[in-house]
Amino acid sequence: MTESAVAQPPLFGGRWQIDRFVVSTALAGVALLGGLIWLETAPFMVALFVIGTVLGIALYHGAFGFTAGWRNLVVHRKGAGMRAQLLLFGLSSLIMVPLLHSGQEGLIGAVAPVGTSLVVGSFLFGLGMQLGGGCGSGTLFTVGAGNIRMVITLVFFIIGTVVGSIHLPWWLDQPGVDPISLVTPLGVSGAILAQWLGLGLIAFWVNRTERKAHGSVERAALLWQAPSHGLVRTLLTGRWPFTWAILVLALGNALTLAIGGSPWSITFAFNVWGAKALEAVGVNMGQFEFWQWEYPAMALKDSVLTNIPSVMNFGVLLGAMLAAGLANRFNEASRNRPEPRQFYAAVIGGLLLGYGARLGFGCNIGALFSGIASASVHAWIWFACAFVGSLIGIRLRPWFRLPN
Amino acid sequence: MVEQAYSRTRILVVLAILLVLILADHLKSPTFAFNSGQGNVETALTQRDETACAPCGAPCPSTRD
Repeated sequence: MTESAVAQPPLFGGRWQIDRFVVSTALAGVALLGGLIWLETAPFMVALFVIGTVLGIALYHGAFGFTAGWRNLVVHRKGAGMRAQLLLFGLSSLIMVPLLHSGQEGLIGAVAPVGTSLVVGSFLFGLGMQLGGGCGSGTLFTVGAGNIRMVITLVFFIIGTVVGSIHLPWWLDQPGVDPISLVTPLGVSGAILAQWLGLGLIAFWVNRTERKAHGSVERAALLWQAPSHGLVRTLLTGRWPFTWAILVLALGNALTLAIGGSPWSITFAFNVWGAKALEAVGVNMGQFEFWQWEYPAMALKDSVLTNIPSVMNFGVLLGAMLAAGLANRFNEASRNRPEPRQFYAAVIGGLLLGYGARLGFGCNIGALFSGIASASVHAWIWFACAFVGSLIGIRLRPWFRLPN
Repeated sequence: MVEQAYSRTRILVVLAILLVLILADHLKSPTFAFNSGQGNVETALTQRDETACAPCGAPCPSTRD
């Protein structure tokens, strides 16, 4: 599932050489920010920061990009990336749905309303994924790994979320219903089984598509065992088999829920950063309805160090930087300057990603991954609409001189 | 020797700017005021709204006029 925005080594081979400057800078950043969070907030926030860092390493070393996984299936009829995502959703569902309904107080799942806002938002997000070159997690970890084009995507992603936050109340007034949890009609076991059935049907279609085009299904990317140069070296420098990334991402999300009280999310932090930037230049964000709601108002008023998605995003950025340094590939994807049209794609894609994420109640992590792990119907609708948007985005990529 | 794909100075400057922005935001926050011994401030260490209908804090469609 190697994304064009991510320079990643192959699964096998190569001499071990690390980028000491990048590794030491990333470690110093983790120590400095971790210390600050420890001093100024609470130990559980440090734990979430560390989890974010590990997730950043897993995303980079596993080359776990949702965007390229979908594109590889559509364009090249290769389903390894998509299968890895389906396995991740299945495993997380198995761990997190029972945890959410264990009776433990204070745990809130990633459930969201189903309606016009969700359909439009997820469709736009899927379109933006292919033009911007990454999804929520993909944008974040490739920026951490030093990809300049993805920095442009991230900046416009942030702008898009802020515009989306201003428009969201209007979209919420369009036809829609309250969140629907599969656990309500089916119970915990029934919800998990229903989701597995859904994931199994998609996997069946993915495998059939790949077999039809190539005669067989590629299994090497899902290998559990370490490639030829040993377990420790592969663990430190990548590239990880998908299985390793799946395990770390699933456990990371479950720990985030157990420690932070809600599953992993990314894009709300972009919203907060953008709104804080506007407030710094004199815009009163409190005039907009979104920023009067309790949670956004709290997040805007207080420090980013007390906002869980922000703290975890800082961890993902530094974790990806550390991983890229260990793989000696920091900034590798930026050796060639983007053409003007690729720049426009990053701008348009970023705006669509941000606007879509806000209307769709999150990105591939907050809405899709965490949504399915919470057995929420909105996640499945998000998946379908984002995939349709992605199909259009894939068709538009050649015009922007983006390789398919 | 392999040519580096980046400028070390640029990376340090970018990270320093980000750290300054985080610190500037934190130093004017209620949490910092609370930690500095100022009472009567409302902090939001556990930013939660259990009545919200979405992770971003959006209300339920059924509650809207």
